[in-house]
Amino acid sequence: MRIVVLVKPVPDPGEERLGADGRLDRSVSAVINGNDEYVLEAALQLIDANGGDVTLLSMAPAGITDPIRKALAMGATRAVLVSDPALAGACAWSTAQVLAAALQTLEYDLVLVGADTSDGGGGVVGAAVATLLHRPYLSHARKIEPFEGGVRVERLSASGHDVLEAALPAVVGGTQLLGEPRYPTLRGIMGARSKEIAIRTLAEIGLADRAVGGAHATTALLDARPPASRGSTRVVRGADPAAAAAAIVDFLVERRAI
Amino acid sequence: MGGIWVVGEVDGAGDLTKLSCEAATAARLLGDAAKLDVRGVVVAAEPDAAAANMTAFLPVVIAVRAPEALERPAAAVVAARVAALAGAAAEPPAYVVVGATLDGRDLAGALAALLGVGILVGATGLAWADAADGLPAGPRVEMQPFGGRVVTTSAFTGERGIILLRPNMVAAEPLAAPGRVEAAATQAIVDPAPVRVVERVVTQSTGPAIEDARVIVAGGRGVGGPDGFSGLADLAGLLGGAVGATRAAVDAGWVDYAIQIGQTGKTVKPAVYLAFGVSGAIQHKVGMQTSEIIVAVNRDADAPIGEFADLFVVADLAAVVPALASALRARAG
Amino acid sequence: MTAAPALGRLTDDQRAIRDAVRTLARERVAPRAAEIDRSATFPEDLRALLAEQGILGLPFPERFGGLGADLLTVCLAIEALSAACATTGLILAIQELGALPLLLAGTEEQLERFVPGLAAGRDLVAFALTEADAGSDAAAVRTRAIRDGESYVVSGAKRFISHGSVAHLVIVFAVTDPEADRRCRISAFVVETDSPGFSVSRLEHKMGIRGSPTAELAFDEVRVPIANRIGAEGDGFDLAMRTLDRSRPGIAAQAVGIAQGALDAAAAYAGQRRQFGRAIGEFQLVQGLLADMDARTEAARQLLYTACDEIERGAPDAGRWSALCKLVAGDAAMAVTTDAVQVFGGYGYLDDFPVERMMRDAKITQLYEGTQQIQRLVIARALLARNA
Repeated sequence: MRIVVLVKPVPDPGEERLGADGRLDRSVSAVINGNDEYVLEAALQLIDANGGDVTLLSMAPAGITDPIRKALAMGATRAVLVSDPALAGACAWSTAQVLAAALQTLEYDLVLVGADTSDGGGGVVGAAVATLLHRPYLSHARKIEPFEGGVRVERLSASGHDVLEAALPAVVGGTQLLGEPRYPTLRGIMGARSKEIAIRTLAEIGLADRAVGGAHATTALLDARPPASRGSTRVVRGADPAAAAAAIVDFLVERRAI
Repeated sequence: MGGIWVVGEVDGAGDLTKLSCEAATAARLLGDAAKLDVRGVVVAAEPDAAAANMTAFLPVVIAVRAPEALERPAAAVVAARVAALAGAAAEPPAYVVVGATLDGRDLAGALAALLGVGILVGATGLAWADAADGLPAGPRVEMQPFGGRVVTTSAFTGERGIILLRPNMVAAEPLAAPGRVEAAATQAIVDPAPVRVVERVVTQSTGPAIEDARVIVAGGRGVGGPDGFSGLADLAGLLGGAVGATRAAVDAGWVDYAIQIGQTGKTVKPAVYLAFGVSGAIQHKVGMQTSEIIVAVNRDADAPIGEFADLFVVADLAAVVPALASALRARAG
Repeated sequence: MTAAPALGRLTDDQRAIRDAVRTLARERVAPRAAEIDRSATFPEDLRALLAEQGILGLPFPERFGGLGADLLTVCLAIEALSAACATTGLILAIQELGALPLLLAGTEEQLERFVPGLAAGRDLVAFALTEADAGSDAAAVRTRAIRDGESYVVSGAKRFISHGSVAHLVIVFAVTDPEADRRCRISAFVVETDSPGFSVSRLEHKMGIRGSPTAELAFDEVRVPIANRIGAEGDGFDLAMRTLDRSRPGIAAQAVGIAQGALDAAAAYAGQRRQFGRAIGEFQLVQGLLADMDARTEAARQLLYTACDEIERGAPDAGRWSALCKLVAGDAAMAVTTDAVQVFGGYGYLDDFPVERMMRDAKITQLYEGTQQIQRLVIARALLARNA
């Protein structure tokens, strides 16, 4: 199976900051988006069972390779990084076009994409990429089962789950329920050094004269401010259960919650 | 300029979802401020009931019958039909408002690709502003990325865009007099990349969906097991709320992933968040820290949740949960 | 592995390995540490985790399934693990210690027989030199290995043997020629613990590293094939000393890790604990304590890394480097953990917080693999020899 996993390097959750220009501060140490690790794990399990290879595809500044190396250390075969100064400040729509164009230069049976990103992304890129490529999109998967020429997915729904099927090649979006990502073994870490990270510019994926990137962003940040302070915490200690319960009820009444 | 469209989501019973009522209200208020036409769109195999529901909130609702929706995931069908409708309209919509559910995200992504427009995801507030600072007149969208650590205001650089609205941000407000439904026919779309729904499996689900709940009673590792969660369900019932959980409880197999709140689960903003045995670690905090009122009960006086809760009770939840249930029953009775 | 880095700088591989072990230590080892200490139980689950992650394979040659890591890399891993749990860091340190006699002097046949299991982390190996009456005076061991046909018959007892009760292999130093000179009396043997006559006669109850089993081993006419003797007869004492020269940095790494763990806990506490309306970290006396703790820990760390480089490069005074880093790190760990308890005040004395355990754990680094006094003798002798 040839699998491409879309991965996004994001700031370490809890460390995200906006720079003075209103863009995400990329100098903060980066990790692979948490949700992407689940689909990467699913991809690795699929090739452990069925053979094949896993290519990581990412759109990110060229210097951010540590998270990609870690994903390679987990067992991915190679990485393709689309990197171009024009892409700084790109919006989700640009990102989708770039990833779709890059995918058209690769061969794959399955593209896996994570749920939303911890740095504010909304989990919309997978659907946009699949639509641009005219590929089936099976989202919010908790189980992925390829079969001859197709893939079956259990998709989370509001009332349980749906079982979906589509022909390959297909785009599948995953969730945490696909299973805990493996730790990279030390052998994997040492092997990652010699795995390929190919850098592609916009021109190399055929987008030289397309309206993508920061200059063509469809959205703009106007303002960023800290949230209103919650105020101080009222603490109740040493109360017996009845008194504690009464304190909670009184508090909720005082705040007009009940 | 084209108007504002609101795409309504249809629930399992064929009715309009609560979030879609909120989205319709938000879009209508936006349209009033912008002096733009607002209309609802409902696409489903059987759209009539939901379209009728939506007329409580919007003057015009377009109902599109799409029989292919019986066998396909909703989002791709709706996106294709809405794009066709937009293409056929005298004036395509400038802005499309969609509720930020699993289907809503899929819809927004597909629609963005079909219409070639940008998306603002996770709106917590919507307002209209005049042209300023090189930006055209348009919606100003408030969002809270990074788990709510920062509040931002964003806009579209052009005069088009898709907005995904989070649950519980805008209160649904019906019109004084309901609007009307218009049926519209669009061509059946030949899907170049069909996905077939082979089976729909329904598992238990009583009470409000967690993102819609006004009150959430959440349990963490300290609850100790599935039995502890039935005590929380009792409290949730008494408060008209839903039960939520941290990742630890889900990983332990005590509750379903559908009610997991946090970084890899749901983000919620209820009026009241009651947390029992929840440590308040960052992975959970980012899913609930914008709740209006946070009350936490934990045996550990140093639990991080004590730093951002409004009321922190240091006590054993095993005793407090039944005591609280009694106190609430006494008030009601 | 890549060439040794310039002084004080780690290669990309070393950094990546250190970070990966730190993540594992934080997520999987730290949550177990208090319970391991409280129950004084060997963490077999963590042994399995370290094996599966390849961490126990670090010291072993690649041709036997190991990772062929240099001494500094092994120490980085021991340090990272020990910051979370000294017992767990010791699993790697003892595996290295026990295997060193084989790696230094074993035949290819012995390596092929024993090392794959060790590198996989499946088999644990212990180092049995010390006896009840032979601690610092290691040459005074009395366990006997008498040649009998194609085997040796080993009889005697070893004391204070780390992992003695969980090891599959024990490297035993026994007297083969009682008449010979002190330094030529002893030979080293690989004893497989499923051999008849081998038993664990006692497990010690210790102040610290309570999850690490410290055993008294009894050898009651255990037959050991000649093929299990490491090196020639009489090579044992010298082999033991060469082993310790290379393994002492592992203990220094454990000590640096313990110190860092205590420092991190104390610094975090100082930022949160409030007295007199302020965080105690704002008071100068507390700042003074913390600063000294950081300085001592960092100094011990930098000396350790330099020592590893020197030893790896084959420095002729490896023994001096080994003793220096162990001396400084052991004393640093004791001082830093004691000060960490002080920063916590009364709470530091309770087992609700990790620093009292870290203080109890730190003490052993001043005692085993050569007491601090022995380290001083080694250093002084080397110094005087240089200046003779």
